[in-house]
Amino acid sequence: MRAWLARTRTQPELLGLWLLLAAVPVAALPHAWEQPPWVFAVLMAAWLWRVIIHATNARLPARWLMVLLVLAGGALTFVEFGTVFGQQAGTALLLVMLALKLLEIRSQRDIVVSLFLAYFVVVTTYFFNQSILIAAYSLLSAWLITAALIQVHGGRVLPLARLARSSGLMLVHALPIMLILFLVFPRIPGPIWGSPHEDPVGQTGLSDRLEFGDIAQLLENEATALRVRFEGPVPASSQQYWRALVMTDFDGRGWRVDRSRPEVPADGEGPGDVAYTVTLEPTRAHYLPVLDFPVGIPDHARLLDNLQVVTSRRVDSRLQYTGHARLDAPPVLPLSADERTRALALPAAAAPRARVQAALWRAAHGDDDTAIVQEALQLFAGEPFRYTLRPPLLQGDNTDAFLFETRAGYCEHYASTLAVLMRAAGIPARVITGYQGGQWMDAGNYLRLRQADAHAWTEVWLEDRGWTRVDPTAAIAPERIETGLSGWFGEDIDAPAFLRRSGLPWTVQWRLRISDWHDVATFRWESLVLAFDPERQRELFARFGLDATDWRSVLIALAVSLGGLALLVGLSAFLRRPRDRRDPAQRALDRLSRRLRRHDLAREPHETAAAYAARVRAARPELATPLADFAQAYTHLRYADLDAQEREQFQRQLWRALGEAKG
Amino acid sequence: MRSGKLNPARDPALRARWWRLREDFVRWVTRRHQADGRRARVTRDRVYILPTRQGFMLLLILLVMLLGSINYSNNMAFLLTFLVVGIGHNAMWYTHRNLLGLKVTVLPVKPVFAGAPPMLSLRLEETDGRPREALRLAAGGQESPPAFLETGGSAEVAIALESRPRGIYSLPRQRLSTRYPLGLLEAWTWLTLDTEVLVYPVPVPADAVQAATADGDGEEAAVPTARDAPPDEIRDYRPGDSPNRIAWKAVARSGRLFVRDSAGGDAAPTWVDWDAVPGSDPEYRLSVLCHRVLEANATGQPFGLRLPGQRLGPDTGPEHLGRCLRALAAFGLPRRKLT
Repeated sequence: MRAWLARTRTQPELLGLWLLLAAVPVAALPHAWEQPPWVFAVLMAAWLWRVIIHATNARLPARWLMVLLVLAGGALTFVEFGTVFGQQAGTALLLVMLALKLLEIRSQRDIVVSLFLAYFVVVTTYFFNQSILIAAYSLLSAWLITAALIQVHGGRVLPLARLARSSGLMLVHALPIMLILFLVFPRIPGPIWGSPHEDPVGQTGLSDRLEFGDIAQLLENEATALRVRFEGPVPASSQQYWRALVMTDFDGRGWRVDRSRPEVPADGEGPGDVAYTVTLEPTRAHYLPVLDFPVGIPDHARLLDNLQVVTSRRVDSRLQYTGHARLDAPPVLPLSADERTRALALPAAAAPRARVQAALWRAAHGDDDTAIVQEALQLFAGEPFRYTLRPPLLQGDNTDAFLFETRAGYCEHYASTLAVLMRAAGIPARVITGYQGGQWMDAGNYLRLRQADAHAWTEVWLEDRGWTRVDPTAAIAPERIETGLSGWFGEDIDAPAFLRRSGLPWTVQWRLRISDWHDVATFRWESLVLAFDPERQRELFARFGLDATDWRSVLIALAVSLGGLALLVGLSAFLRRPRDRRDPAQRALDRLSRRLRRHDLAREPHETAAAYAARVRAARPELATPLADFAQAYTHLRYADLDAQEREQFQRQLWRALGEAKG
Repeated sequence: MRSGKLNPARDPALRARWWRLREDFVRWVTRRHQADGRRARVTRDRVYILPTRQGFMLLLILLVMLLGSINYSNNMAFLLTFLVVGIGHNAMWYTHRNLLGLKVTVLPVKPVFAGAPPMLSLRLEETDGRPREALRLAAGGQESPPAFLETGGSAEVAIALESRPRGIYSLPRQRLSTRYPLGLLEAWTWLTLDTEVLVYPVPVPADAVQAATADGDGEEAAVPTARDAPPDEIRDYRPGDSPNRIAWKAVARSGRLFVRDSAGGDAAPTWVDWDAVPGSDPEYRLSVLCHRVLEANATGQPFGLRLPGQRLGPDTGPEHLGRCLRALAAFGLPRRKLT
């Protein structure tokens, strides 16, 4: 132990190696969650081996063993992924090779190569996670790696403080160049080769089938689903229905999302429409939540005839898009005969008692569909129906059991039951799932919708108005719609903590506060950094009258911005150049001498100020007074013991005399 | 040392040619510089900088990182790639500044006997207010260990030059370089600081031949050595006596100044004479003379050196010794450049 400590002190490169061994686990740590366990295990095993080699001064593994290990590592990766290319497999291979490289470090060059690979490892982290926390963390990794690089080339064991400072400064100094290149470097949409999306991870959030309890289950999920920024005034909460999936087919138990609907043209935005930008967390699905009713849809997305918006590429990473909504007037689309049949279909055995109820309403109101809808809402509001987090289990036919027995349910119970009742009464109906409510984030000026804000409602077809939104939840629990989930569950001690408004311990309150800050930071990060794409770049270039697709423009932008940066750096260096360290009085004397040089009256190095003044006075009698003043002030300033006031007085005299002694 | 790696072949002829080419190239590059003399300042116009092999390696890795970022349109990967690009770019500046503004002074080279390596030492001074790290001096194919300077501090870097036959040499061109902080680039400057490098002949005792002559007469006499000198006599100090002949013990006892007077009293000074050395090989003769000069000096008695066309002394003291040895080193040779 003592032996290697001593070696570390004497051999700067050895300390560099130790720093490398410190940097590697730090850089690789985020991969522990993303890679198969064996990859990280291999890395840590190699790391430990290397540490032991060091601590005990043992021998490095033999060449043949290394060759064998490299082959085994490659083979293992191939067996695991079926390839060694692409994000997941490529990263695994990189980690394995870095691990093995640790075992064969023999020279300074090997250390340096490993450190370069460590930078690479940091970059691959982002294939799996681009959060702001990872960004901050990778700065730490980069800082360590850079410090190790400096130590390796330091030529001696550098003081740790200097190492830390130099490395940090290097990162800071590199930021402007990073920023310029980030903004100016030409962006090309889409992948050049391969598909960036390979990891099959289960869908989160809304699913394409809806049964009782599905949405209630999401209530516990406080993860953010989407964040919305509005261009103009923010619409009232009761008007914000974020439409995601439309479900027409009912099998007696649950609803299934519509497949292969024809595309329709969007109306196009007009005055009074709401413009918004959504940042959608990955859904691993194709739908895009849009504000009801969509009139302008994002580029590269399609509007289907059920007013559902889908994209052709699955949303596997955060996606930002803009849209326009007309809050109160749904576009009137014709209902085809086929469509009407589908929207009226009920399985023969489904909900016998509900059918009877619907038939009664129909008999009472004749052709007045609106009145029947009102009857149903009256039923929910009038009878002792409860809107609850924990609906009891149902037995027998779901609809009937809910409607006539338990009478306690969550939004999907009401939406589904209302749709069944309407169909039974001969009114075409469907169920919509999406998000409603949310939390307004003042700090980030955006609306945050969590998975918990998932909601289900109903649309019915009325002859004169087309598809009309009817939200039974608004009848039974108006607060849920007007002020969001916490408006209804805020006082409920069974509700998840993030919805409750009182009665929380301070630890939980802080956790929630930190979670809010994190969400705001994530949103900022997202809109500032991650959303920068070819289109944003075009806009940025256009603002300066440049065309981002023209390489000459790119070169101009690059040259101007880097040149500007160089100018700034040069200017700051100029301003911070070593100051004139001469005494002010000395400086004045030098200046006087310089001024009189052209009359051949420069001061000789051996001359005192007084002697010099006397000599000049002899040659230029007209300067006698200022020179005498000058010499007196100079002598006092340099040699007398002055207090502050006298000093100031003589200084003034000195400069005044200098001003008057113009040759 | 590194230039050794650039050698195209192990073949000595080719290597010599390569060195010549290199030498010509450097001379061509530095033709606008003036010779430095004793001191120099590393100014902007004489700092050269080029990427190292590691620099190119990082460039390659950055290229792969960039391709990955483009392919997966990954903004954070772009950011980190460009961050490392920025670091690499700034390394140019750091490395350059690590060398820029240093004051370099050549220290006198201690004379050596042929066969021993002369030590070249430069004094580096930092006056620009920033610490410097990992500065390396190379000259004559040798490289120093890294040196560092604290703010406003100074350091000496030394290299053992290759040993040479006797003669008076000037210094080879020096190369002061650094790769700090990241090793991606090397900044260097060529210095032509100069001072005299004296290489004395190897002292060789002339066995069997007693070959010192007394003054003028050509009588042969043994060179007196300190050991076999007869017991000293003490006499009063007279102005003009050499201070190193003062008999301190006697002075301490009596309080008066005494000097030691050797048996010969005011005997004629010893002459170390070229003609008294047998043999025809001048180098051998010089070596023998060198040995005798050293022996004569050790006695503390005045001695003189006679070479064809030259006469030094008689005198005593280290300066006289230095003059004699220098005459031996320079005998019959022009000043040469050490390479």
